[in-house]
Amino acid sequence: MSYRVIGIVVLAAILAAVPSIASEYWVALLTQVLIFGLLALSADLLLGHAGLFSLCHAAFFAVSAYTVAILQTRYGVTTIPAAVAGLVAGTLLAAVFASAVRTRGVYFILITLAFGYIVWGVAHRWASFTGGDNGVTNVPPPSLGGLQIVTKAHYYYFVLVVLAICLLGYRILTTSPFGLALRGIKSSESRMRSLGYRVGAHLYVAFIISGFYASLAGVLYIYYNRFVNPVAAGFPISVEAILMAIIGGTGTILGPFIGSGIILVLRNWVSGFFHYYTAVLGLIFIATVLWAPNGVMGLIRSWRSGNRGEGA
Amino acid sequence: MTIAIEVDNVSKQFAGLRAVDSVSLSIPQGERRVLLGPNGAGKTTLFHCISGTHQPTSGRIVMFGKDISNVSENARTALGMGRTFQISNVCTDLTVMENLLLGMLGTTSQKWSMFRPVTSDKELIGKAVASLERVGLQGRENEEVKYLSYGERRQLELALALSSNPRVLLLDEPCAGLSPSERTHFSKLVSGLSREITLLMIEHDIDVALALADKVTVLHRGRLIFDGLPDEVQKNADVKEVYFGRL
Ligand SMILES: Nc1ncnc2c1ncn2[C@@H]1O[C@H](COP(=O)(O)OP(=O)(O)O)[C@@H](O)[C@H]1O
Ligand SMILES: [Mg+2]
Repeated sequence: MSYRVIGIVVLAAILAAVPSIASEYWVALLTQVLIFGLLALSADLLLGHAGLFSLCHAAFFAVSAYTVAILQTRYGVTTIPAAVAGLVAGTLLAAVFASAVRTRGVYFILITLAFGYIVWGVAHRWASFTGGDNGVTNVPPPSLGGLQIVTKAHYYYFVLVVLAICLLGYRILTTSPFGLALRGIKSSESRMRSLGYRVGAHLYVAFIISGFYASLAGVLYIYYNRFVNPVAAGFPISVEAILMAIIGGTGTILGPFIGSGIILVLRNWVSGFFHYYTAVLGLIFIATVLWAPNGVMGLIRSWRSGNRGEGA
Repeated sequence: MTIAIEVDNVSKQFAGLRAVDSVSLSIPQGERRVLLGPNGAGKTTLFHCISGTHQPTSGRIVMFGKDISNVSENARTALGMGRTFQISNVCTDLTVMENLLLGMLGTTSQKWSMFRPVTSDKELIGKAVASLERVGLQGRENEEVKYLSYGERRQLELALALSSNPRVLLLDEPCAGLSPSERTHFSKLVSGLSREITLLMIEHDIDVALALADKVTVLHRGRLIFDGLPDEVQKNADVKEVYFGRL
């Protein structure tokens, strides 16, 4: 327990120090890692806790980002109401897509995949509203009550603070009776039903909460990126979010962020000299499935319990 | 006398097989009823129909005067039904304590609580520890269920069925696969349950069954062939032929 507290303090100190010790490039990359880590975490609420493999999380992410971008650039709405509208839009969409919880297994994957494509198709084709392939550009930097967040370092700190609050909420959610029920459903749905749980209702609500977290990632993304195009709604983003969670370790808080770090650093580094970045990603994924099915966090856990075993 | 469970002309058809065929029985509140019958007789299927796991092809299930035929499985639990599964069905990825907490929360609105850790409810934890003690799982609270022995899983299975304080308890071969000493322990546990609880139990061990039962029902090929007192069951010609004849 105290190790955990020390770990959190050390991690917070390191994260807070990054802008003063690293270049702007790394600060920007780390911001991106945190934002996509949050997206991965949102998908992992379903995968790691409830056992549902969703392939449509880019949809909530993108709808929320588009909502903010359009409201700000076209209607002059200020940051806070635009961000709230983005969260509401993404979460409402999740409430509709949550109907996928009527299905399980491969059907769930396919339905969420189809849902994701619908949103991508709209972003891509409805050019008069979404700007088509060009998307929406020139989103102004966020401003909170007269305070503009312009520099990369300031935005990084802003993301850190928002994340800290979110992760605390996520932690409480996953240890609450509701979160425990999700893990129960993942383990044995039939037992949960006979214990009195309306399994569908629990999964439905979990899906909406997960969509809310993905929407929040979308809001953080649009103010980081300052433009959005259909790539944000694309299938590769949904897949990467899931891969990040699996590579880092599902069912944990840190895992999706570790996965996000691995994938984004690799993409920025490998794609500089090697054209087949996605092939490398594929190999990493295969290696994870074969040798570290519980991801990096699983490796750390087994390494720690192994050490303890030898010590005893 | 209040009737706890009434099975009214229930049938369950699986493709070409009529697993339960026009079965009617009625169990007064507080009675301990044992369901006998050879393998494949349809006992588990009848259980599934009563608990709501399966929808009967025809017929009605009535619990304390209320027709629950169209009530979902989880809502039947909320109405006071608890059950064990013939093949242990517990959440193997969770700890013993977590399983039990899920059981205790399942029939309360607290199961929707999202804003505080489940472990912060000390009263609930205390109750969970006590019920684990009752089935003999004390000291195993934080063990992950996948590391439990077969017998311990059966104990947890019973603790889960009891965790919602059911008025009607369905036990599907609770002792199957246990060692003789575990079996004795288990039948003591069951006979020590409150007499308020109406008990319907499937049991293969004739001695255990007859020692525990107020009344016995025998199924064969989906049909009810005997319904009466334990003393009479061994004398009944039909039962002798289909059931004891095989032993
Ligand atoms: N889900 C199912 N689908 C098809 N047949 C089933 C199903 N469940 C049970 N059966 C069949 O119904 C019959 C009764 O099974 P069951 O109720 O498990 O018997 P018992 O519990 O008395 O041993 C068996 O022949 C079994 O093969
Ligand atoms: Mg059976």
